[in-house]
Amino acid sequence: MSLTLTVDGPRWRAHLESVADAHPGIVPVAKGNGYGFTLGRLARKAQWLRDRGHDVTTLAVGTYAEIPEVATRWNGDILVLTPWRPFVEPFDPTLTKRVIHTVSRLADLDQLLTLAPTARIVLERTTSMQRHGMSARELWEAGEVLRRRDDIRLEGVALHLPLAQGNHLGEVGRLLNDYVAAAVPERGAPTLWVSHLTDGELETLRQQYPDFVARPRIGTQLWLGDRGALRVTATVLDVHPVERGDAFGYRARTAPKSGHLLVVSGGTAHGIGLEAPTGESTIKARAATFARGGLDAVGFVRSPYSIDGKQRLFAEPPHMQASMLFLPSGARVPAVGDRIDVRVRYTATTFDRVDIS
Amino acid sequence: MPSLRVVSADEHRDYLATLPTASFLQTPGWAKVKPEWRSEHLAWVDDDGRTVGAALVLYRQLPRLNRFLAYLPEGPVIDWSSDRLGDWLDPLVRHLKGEGAFAVRIGPPVVTRRWTAAQIKGGIADADVRRLGQIPPLERSAAGARVVSQLHELGWRHQAAEGGFAAGQPQFVYQIPLVQADRTPHTEESLLKGMNQQWRRNIKKADKEGVEVSVGTGADLKAFHDLYVHTAERDHFTPRPLRYFEVMYDALNEEGATEPVSEMKLWLARHHGDLVAATLSVRVGTHAWYSYGASSTEKRDVRGSNAVQWAMIRDALAAGATVYDLRGITDTLDADDSHVGLIQFKVGTGGEAVEYAGEWDLPINRVLYKAFQIYLARR
Repeated sequence: MSLTLTVDGPRWRAHLESVADAHPGIVPVAKGNGYGFTLGRLARKAQWLRDRGHDVTTLAVGTYAEIPEVATRWNGDILVLTPWRPFVEPFDPTLTKRVIHTVSRLADLDQLLTLAPTARIVLERTTSMQRHGMSARELWEAGEVLRRRDDIRLEGVALHLPLAQGNHLGEVGRLLNDYVAAAVPERGAPTLWVSHLTDGELETLRQQYPDFVARPRIGTQLWLGDRGALRVTATVLDVHPVERGDAFGYRARTAPKSGHLLVVSGGTAHGIGLEAPTGESTIKARAATFARGGLDAVGFVRSPYSIDGKQRLFAEPPHMQASMLFLPSGARVPAVGDRIDVRVRYTATTFDRVDIS
Repeated sequence: MPSLRVVSADEHRDYLATLPTASFLQTPGWAKVKPEWRSEHLAWVDDDGRTVGAALVLYRQLPRLNRFLAYLPEGPVIDWSSDRLGDWLDPLVRHLKGEGAFAVRIGPPVVTRRWTAAQIKGGIADADVRRLGQIPPLERSAAGARVVSQLHELGWRHQAAEGGFAAGQPQFVYQIPLVQADRTPHTEESLLKGMNQQWRRNIKKADKEGVEVSVGTGADLKAFHDLYVHTAERDHFTPRPLRYFEVMYDALNEEGATEPVSEMKLWLARHHGDLVAATLSVRVGTHAWYSYGASSTEKRDVRGSNAVQWAMIRDALAAGATVYDLRGITDTLDADDSHVGLIQFKVGTGGEAVEYAGEWDLPINRVLYKAFQIYLARR
C-alpha cells in the first residue's frame, strides 16, 4: 500500500564503509528528509560506522530543529550547518557539550559567547558561493574577540564551496590564509570543515596544509552514492479499463483512447509531482506551469512511474497520497498489489516505508 | 594616510639609517649595482611631515616601448603590519603609473612560515615528503597571512617562486637566528651547539689544519673573483664579471657616508697561503647576509668553506645582528633532487627555513602585462 524505498542492505553498508574508509575524518551529513532514509536512520548508521572503528567523530545536521532527531541515536558530536542566529531557540542543555555551532557573523559571535560562554564553535568564512560566512576582515576581528577570552572552544573554520566547477584549491588556499591571518586561539590542530572537494583536491589540500585537520562533510556521496543498492517502488492500488471518451478523475477529464487507468501509491504528500527545481526557475513557477499547461494543453505528462521499463503518463495531476496513470491498450496491465518502479529525487521524497535487507 | 614623494638617494639613506634594518636590495646603493635599470627613490611622509616609509624602484624598460616594469626587490620598506595596506600601496601604484609602469612588482619582506632544522632533516629522510610545505610548519605567521590576504584583496598576483623572472628573489631562505626566543643574543657556544656534528667537526678541523680567515679589501676582489670563476666552472653556473662585484662592493660600502646603511665584507680563507674559500657578506643593521661564495677544488678536506661561514657568523653576532641569512633555498626535500644538497649544507648550521610572502605583481596595463608574461615564458 505504500511508496517504498528498498535498500540492498549488504551492498549499501559496504558502500558506506568504503566511503568512510576513503575519507578519514568524514563528517556524515544528515539533514532535511535524511536523503529519503529519515534523519533517525542516518544517525543510527553514523553510529554504526563509528562502532565499526571508522574515523567518524561528528555528525552534521542542517538545522537546530534536527538535533533531537539524531541526538538519541548517535553518541558523538553534532555540527549544525546552518549558522547560529540570535533567534535560534535554545536546545536541550544536556547536549551543550556535544553540539558544535557554526558562527558566520561577528555580531553572532559576541552574542553566542555571552549566552553560552562554553559553546563549541566553528567560524564560517564566505566562499564564492556567497551564502553565509565572514569576510577576511570579520574573521580577523573574530580572532581578536576570541583572543580576549581564555575559555573559548574553537573547533576550526568552515567553508561551504559551490558544487564542483573546476578546481577549488586556489580558493580554499586563499580562504585558509584568511583564517591563519585571524590568529584564533586553538587548542589542538586547526580544523577545516569543508564540503564538495574531490578526493584529489582533498589529498592535495592535506599535503599543502599538513598542520590542519581536514574534515570533509559528505551527504549525497555517502548515503546515495551507490544508486544500484536502492530501489523505489509504488503499489498498484486499483486498475480500471476505460474506453475513449470515458470521463474520470477530479475534473472529469475524458480518456483520449482506450486503455487502463492505474491508481498507484505516491502523491503530493510524498513529493511525487513536486520535483524540486534543478535550475533557474522557482518551485512555484514550475508547479504552476505543471498544473496549468501540462495536462490540458498537450495531453498527459510523463510521470516518474514506469512499468516494464517504460515511463508512463499521469492521467491527471497527482493526488495527495495516490496518483492516476494512463496505460494505453496493448501494454501489459499490472495487477492490484503489484509493485512498479518510481524514479524520485531522494532529497525531496518522503517514503512510507524504508526496507533495508 | 601617508603621502608619497620622490626623494634623493641621501634622504633615502638617512631614513633607512633610522630603522633597525632593511633588505640590502632596498638600499640606495643597490641602484648602482643595477645600472641597466633606471632607479628612483621614494618616501612616504605622514601628516606631520615625518618620513614613515621608503622604496627603491628599479624600472626595466620593455623592448622598443616606453613602458616599464617597476620592480621593488624585497620592498618597499613600509609598515607591513598595517591592516590598511591599500593606503600605502595605492599612492605608490599611482606614482609608478605616472612614470610609465605597465606593472609593479614588489617583494613584501614578510615571513609567512618557518620550519626548524630538525623538521627539515626529518622531511628529507621521509620518502613521502617531497616539498617543504608538506611538513607542518613550526609557525604560520598571522601577520604574514594578513599581508597575503590584503594583497589578494587589492588585486595583486602572487608570482610562482621558481622559474620566471631572472631577477626574482627567492621565496624560501635559510636563516640562523642570532637571538634566542626571549630576544637575548646567542653566544658562539650556543650557536655551535645548534649546528650538527659534521659542521662542528669541520669548523674544528679547519682550525686544526691551520686555515686562516681574514677580511680583505676591494683590492682582494680579483682573488675572490678568480676562485669564483673556478667554482662556476666546477658547479656549472654562469659567473658574473669582476666589474659587477667591484661596483657592488663600492655601492654597499658608501665612501665617506656619515652613517653608512650597508656594509659589505670580503672574506678570504687561506691554507698555507693557498686561497681555499672566499665569500662576500652584507649587513644592514641587524640583518646579515651571506651573499656570494667560492671555494677551491683542491684541499677541500681542510674545510675552508665551513671556516669562512663560521667567521662570518661570529662577525654578524659581534656586530649585533639578530639574523644571519644564508639566502635562498628551493622548497624541495626530495632526497633524489640535486638541489637537496644545498639545503642539507644550510640545515647543518641549525637555524630555520623561512618562507617569505614572495613576489607580487600588479598589472597596470593588462595587455602589456600579458605580453610581458608571454615574453618571459618563452625566454
